[in-house]
Amino acid sequence: MFDTPAPPTPLVEMSRISKRFGGLHAVTDVSLDLYPGEVVGVLGHNGAGKSCLMRILSGAMTASDGQITVGGKPVTLNSPQDARNCGIETIYQTLALANHLDAAANLFLGRELKTRFGNLDDARMFAHAQEALRQLNPHFTNLKDPVSRLSGGQRQVIAIARAIYFQAKVLIMDEPTAALGPSETAMVADLTLRLKAEGIGIFLISHDMHDVFDLCDRVMVMNKGRNVGSFRIEDVNKDDILSLIIKGTLPDDWTPRGGK
Amino acid sequence: MSDVQASRSRRLRLGGASLHKLSAVATLVLLIVAFSFTSPAFFSVNNGLTVLLQTAVIGLLAIGMTMVIITGGIDLSVGSVLALSGVVTGLAIKAGMPVIPGMGLGIVTGAACGAINGLIITKMRITPFVATLGMMMIARGLALQLTGAAPISRLGDSFGQLGNGSFFRVVEMQANGFPKVIFPGIPYPAVLLLVVALLGAYILSRRQIGRHILSVGSHEEAARLSGVNVTRTKVWAYTASGALAGLAGMVLMSRLVTVQPNEGVMYELDAIAAAVIGGASLMGGVGSISGSMIGAFIIGVLRNGLNMAGTSAFIQQIIIGIVVIGAVYIDQIRNRN
Repeated sequence: MFDTPAPPTPLVEMSRISKRFGGLHAVTDVSLDLYPGEVVGVLGHNGAGKSCLMRILSGAMTASDGQITVGGKPVTLNSPQDARNCGIETIYQTLALANHLDAAANLFLGRELKTRFGNLDDARMFAHAQEALRQLNPHFTNLKDPVSRLSGGQRQVIAIARAIYFQAKVLIMDEPTAALGPSETAMVADLTLRLKAEGIGIFLISHDMHDVFDLCDRVMVMNKGRNVGSFRIEDVNKDDILSLIIKGTLPDDWTPRGGK
Repeated sequence: MSDVQASRSRRLRLGGASLHKLSAVATLVLLIVAFSFTSPAFFSVNNGLTVLLQTAVIGLLAIGMTMVIITGGIDLSVGSVLALSGVVTGLAIKAGMPVIPGMGLGIVTGAACGAINGLIITKMRITPFVATLGMMMIARGLALQLTGAAPISRLGDSFGQLGNGSFFRVVEMQANGFPKVIFPGIPYPAVLLLVVALLGAYILSRRQIGRHILSVGSHEEAARLSGVNVTRTKVWAYTASGALAGLAGMVLMSRLVTVQPNEGVMYELDAIAAAVIGGASLMGGVGSISGSMIGAFIIGVLRNGLNMAGTSAFIQQIIIGIVVIGAVYIDQIRNRN
């Protein structure tokens, strides 16, 4: 049971977020918060608005309405750079890697290390990348190949390393295991728990119910752009969540399960 | 074990871009050998320097074009921007401006056209093909309108320095009073091309903006999500291309010691061909200055050699067209593997 007293200020608080594309309401009036050392699952159908909500938090999209506070301070996230400056890092489902560049160049893309004369410090970036990647996967050796030549697992490792290397406070993981094999999936799960123990707050978008029940402390389910339920994980079971995802409501006879 | 793997992967990498560059160099050598047989005057110091001089303009354009192509775009306006820059410089000098500031103004004009291209592409979200096609017509129209389509001549000897001067020129006075050229010297445009190419290669491989140019061309959305300022990167690339078109205009007009508002028609296609022959991918993300320089010299040697062999200009166009298609085809085969 997770009965640790919650700190007074959440890491992130998204309140009454809406996003409209013309007449289409992708996200409507959704509020969500995240505390240090907590994993919050964001669930829903494809097109339920969960990715959209997370893209707003990662600065890739701007909200039409609503407010975001980070560490108690209101912020405006107009670009991915803004979000990163607030300590919000994202692992995108598409991984967002530049295929023609190597692992180190991708890891430091947008945040390149430079020498005194403003040149790229490839040697230092390579050394740091090697260390960061070895921590996640000891077999990672072909660092100088363009990432298009790497396997799905290796590419995923680069995307993860990029997010955690820069001391994130908030991590958004969008389907982090969708392209991975079983051992790599276990690696990501271990890593998630390790980061959580370090006090990092994590939003996990996943379709995998095992992942959700193994890793999450709370879940928030979206349906048609709305928040249709936020629960502590021990108050719901898989059927409740599936009902929320599909129908948008809980089963009729539902009462808090109290950690079944 | 990791060393073995590393060296194996290094050898593998040699198979990609380096192989293309190697085959381009081989093509260049083959052309030079072939033309040396067809025309005895081809393989001489004098003609070599002529090729250098002729290639300088295309080479300068190709450097900017390479950066734009790596971002995944294209710049069709460089030939017209070259002419407009020359016209602005010519008019400025006619109005009493000294030559060097006048040429500076020409280069700034080119950079401004490039910046406008970049802003149209990023802010108005118009595809590079259409935006620079528009600029191609606007710049050409402006150049013709400003001059009434007439050349501007009598710009003074110093205007011709950049295009006609050379380092290490050795001239000996003969007994009969006529000068004899012992060594024609290394033309300024060739030296300028070398300096700009080195600068371009340095920027592309060692500077942050170069890394960003590569990343934008490789996967634009990934670059954006990684915090790369895509708009600024693209505007930078088009501005560089425009400024180099201005510089190429200075070299060309100076060589003619006359400003011709209808110079540089279709030069953009030579620059694109040079970049593509040199291994730049029109899909973006791939390309190098050194490759494009080899490409520019392949086109320069081809033009010069065919001229020396007495091939008509029409046949030359046909041959260069075939070479471009061939180069792109080889690139596609390479990418499929």
